[in-house]
Formats: sequence, structure tokens, C-alpha cells
Amino acid sequence: MAIFQPFFNIISETGRVVQFFFQMLDVWKRKSISRDLMFEQIWKVTVQSSATTALAGFFVGAIMTVQFTMEMKDFGALGYLGGLSTSGTIREVGPLLIAFMLAGKVGAFTSAELGTMRVTEQIDAIRCLGADPIQELVLPRFIAIVISSFFLLGLGLLLSIFGGMLLGKYFSGVNYEEYLRHIPTIVSLPSILSGLFKCFVFAVVLAVICTHRGYSTTGGAKGVGRSVVQTAVSTMVAIVIADWATSLLADIALKIFLRSR
Amino acid sequence: MIEFKGLVKRFGDRTVLKGLDLTINGGEILFVLGTSGTGKSVLLKNLVGLLKPDAGQIWIDGEEVSAFSEEQYLPIRKKCGMVFQHPALFDSLTVFDNIAFGIRRHLQCTAKETQQKVSHSLKLVNLSGVEQKLPAQLSYGMQKRVSLARTIALEPKILLVDEPTTGLDPVTTNAINQLIFELSRKLKTTSIVVSHDMQCALDIADRIVVMDQGNIVDQGTPDELRKSTVPLVKDFLSEILQKEAEQ
Repeated sequence: MAIFQPFFNIISETGRVVQFFFQMLDVWKRKSISRDLMFEQIWKVTVQSSATTALAGFFVGAIMTVQFTMEMKDFGALGYLGGLSTSGTIREVGPLLIAFMLAGKVGAFTSAELGTMRVTEQIDAIRCLGADPIQELVLPRFIAIVISSFFLLGLGLLLSIFGGMLLGKYFSGVNYEEYLRHIPTIVSLPSILSGLFKCFVFAVVLAVICTHRGYSTTGGAKGVGRSVVQTAVSTMVAIVIADWATSLLADIALKIFLRSR
Repeated sequence: MIEFKGLVKRFGDRTVLKGLDLTINGGEILFVLGTSGTGKSVLLKNLVGLLKPDAGQIWIDGEEVSAFSEEQYLPIRKKCGMVFQHPALFDSLTVFDNIAFGIRRHLQCTAKETQQKVSHSLKLVNLSGVEQKLPAQLSYGMQKRVSLARTIALEPKILLVDEPTTGLDPVTTNAINQLIFELSRKLKTTSIVVSHDMQCALDIADRIVVMDQGNIVDQGTPDELRKSTVPLVKDFLSEILQKEAEQ
């Protein structure tokens, strides 16, 4: 049975994360969240990650353009380069990239911050002083990660279009007007909705995992380190699984949408 | 009055408290001594509802609280102020906001009253003029005092102190111990102090309880404890008695 132990551990950890998510929702339903705390966290998360997201967004646009150029040149379809690479970024690469960026930076930071508060008894102190740590600490961070991910998605997409345009001109020989011309025709409403939906799901998955790991840290400084590593690993894995699930759902939704037209 | 009746607490397959029975009278300064891992801190955390016992009862002023929900515990936590082993100050808040944190939540005070309470409690721990500093700008000993000030600002009837002098130099240790004694007498609180410091317990406790492996092995007044025949108590006392003999 020992061979199955890691599998059982994953199942029980997933159960604890889901339980924690419902506990958060319950607190959110019953208690008000301080707007100041929430805006402070949104500002922190957005500022913390905007430079890296912008940089990564720029290069994603550039990479997509280079890759699409290599395939489309043979078909003489370079005019669709901007539309296709932007559509791919909005639907898939953008949300995934933002989620990975946030997992690496904000997820690890949040987990370490809450974990340190746990092992130095600050969370216990909050409870003793008459406050609810989920309301005071966890929910503002959870909401901030979800909301900030949309800001960062927008920023990443803008920079990816910019990166794509530059590479389109200097690598593929497609001028700016040509690059931008097919974006509105190829990037459809379902693509945008699919990207936004993925962004939301990834952000929720990331936020709940990192806050849960930090909040349930035990074992001093070593425990905090362990929580950060577990956050990094489990968020990456969970985001990839969520990507597969949302792609499947988005595909079904798209088929229903097309059939209804 | 506080009563623990047959208190059991387990963590996985490890039983930390094994059916502990203890009564603490109002206004008493009780020291709980023992080696590391014997469940002293767990005992305090059960009392304020940070941990739930697996069996047994906890009575506070005639009320059985062990099965209370988080909401039901709020008035109990107002009554029982806890000072943690770590200073447990909130890093991003100033000393003023750290102390005002509990006042704003537990007491219906105006801004002026909050200000007065913060200043008063800082004065009680001999630490005026640090209101606008961040915890990181204070020494460890000062942080411990702020932590104590944050707890006494709520004027608790029961003061729980978890290893107040761990990691402090002898001078600060004496100052903090003296402070706990004076505050307990001045505010007329029932105080439970978890410690390793037998000398301090002999100096200021009304009663001392010695724990080993999740249960009480001996208890009594400082004078009674000095005559104890329990090996663990003798170990705790050996150095002190030796020093006294040399003098």
C-alpha cells in the first residue's frame, strides 16, 4: 500500500484545499472585508508583478510571431500573423503565462508571508485579539490575487501585441498596419471570454493554494520553506490541470455557441 | 476560577495532555514548569480556544467552554489575554496600531479613549514614546514588552503568559518577571505563566505546577516545592539550592 501513499496524500491535500476554499467563502458571506486592506493588497500584487509580466508578455508576443512566421510563410498567409498570434495569446498563452508569473512571485510570497505569521504566532494573536484571520489576512490576499491577475493579463497582452508587431516587422517583414489588421477579425468574442475565464480559474486556483499552504504552515522556519516549495510545485501542477479542464470546457462552450448561430 | 478536568489533547498518534486535572483560583499567580514538549503551551492554547481538547472539560468562571465555537469564544478571549512565546507583533503595523488592534475589536472606545489606553498600557510596561515605531525598530525585549502591553490594554481578568523570558538577557528577564508580578497584583488578574525559569517561579508565584509527559507530577507553593521529593522537581531546584548553599 505504501506505493499508493503519495496518491492518497495528493487526494487528502486537495480535499483540505477545497475545504479551506469553502471556509473562505463562508467567512466572505458572513463578514465584511476591509476595502483598505483589499486595495493595499491589489496594489501590492499588481506592482510586484507588473515589470516581469510586461517583460514576459513582450517576449511571448515575439516568440508567437517567430513560430507562426515559420509555419505561415510557406502558405503565403503572413497577413494573418497578427490575428493568429494575438488570438493564441489571449486564449491560451496569456492566461497561462500570467498564472505562472503570479505563482512564482506572488504565490510564493503570500505563502511565505502567511507561513511566517503562523509560525511566529501572529495568526493566533489575531484570533486572541478578537479578529478572524481569514477575514483580516487571507481574504484580502485571495481577492487581490484574482483581481490583479486581470490587470496583469491586460498588461501582458498589450506588451505581447507590441512584441509581436516589432518582430513581425523586423523578422517577418509584416508592417504594423498589416499585423494589426486581422486582429479584430480573428480574435473573436469566444476567444476573449475563454481567455478571461481561464485567467479567473487559474487565479482562483493559485490564490487558494498559496493562502492555504501559508495559513496551515507548521514547523518553524523550515516549515515556511517547505510551504513555499509546496506552493510552487502544487500551483504549477494545479494550473496545468486547470488549463486542460478549462480548454475542454471552452471547447464544449464554443461548439454550443457555434451551433446556436 | 479556572478548572481543567481530565483534559486530553492529541496530535496525530502523540498524546500531549493525558487527562490533566488542575484548578486555578481567582487572583492567583500560577507558574507551570516542565521540560520542553510536556504540553505547557498546549494547556494555555486550549484555555483560549486556539486548540480544541480531544477529551475533558475546561471551566472558566463557572462556564464550560471546551465545546465553544469561534464566535462563542470571543468574550472568553476578551477575558483571557494571552502573551505568546514570540512577541507576535504585526510587522506592518506601528506599536500604536498593534496595541490598538484588540481595543478596536473588543472594546467600544472612541479614538481618544483608544489613544489613552495605548499610552497607559505602554506606561505600565515602562515603555513610553515608542508608539510610532515599527516592531522591527525595537529590540527583542522591547517587543516582548509591547506584546505584554497589547494584552493588558484589554484589561483581561485572566493573564496567560507563554515563556515570557525565553531568549532574553538576565537583566531583561528580571525586569519582565517583575513586571508580570506587579501587573498581576495591580490589575488583580489571575495569571498563568508557562516557564522554564524555576528561580523566577520561586520568587513571584503563589503556586507552582510541574508537568512531565502531559501530566502534573507535583504542585504547591514555592516553599512546598522546595521540599519536593519528585526527581524532576529536584532537578529543576538543584542549581538554585546549590547556589543558596554556597551563599
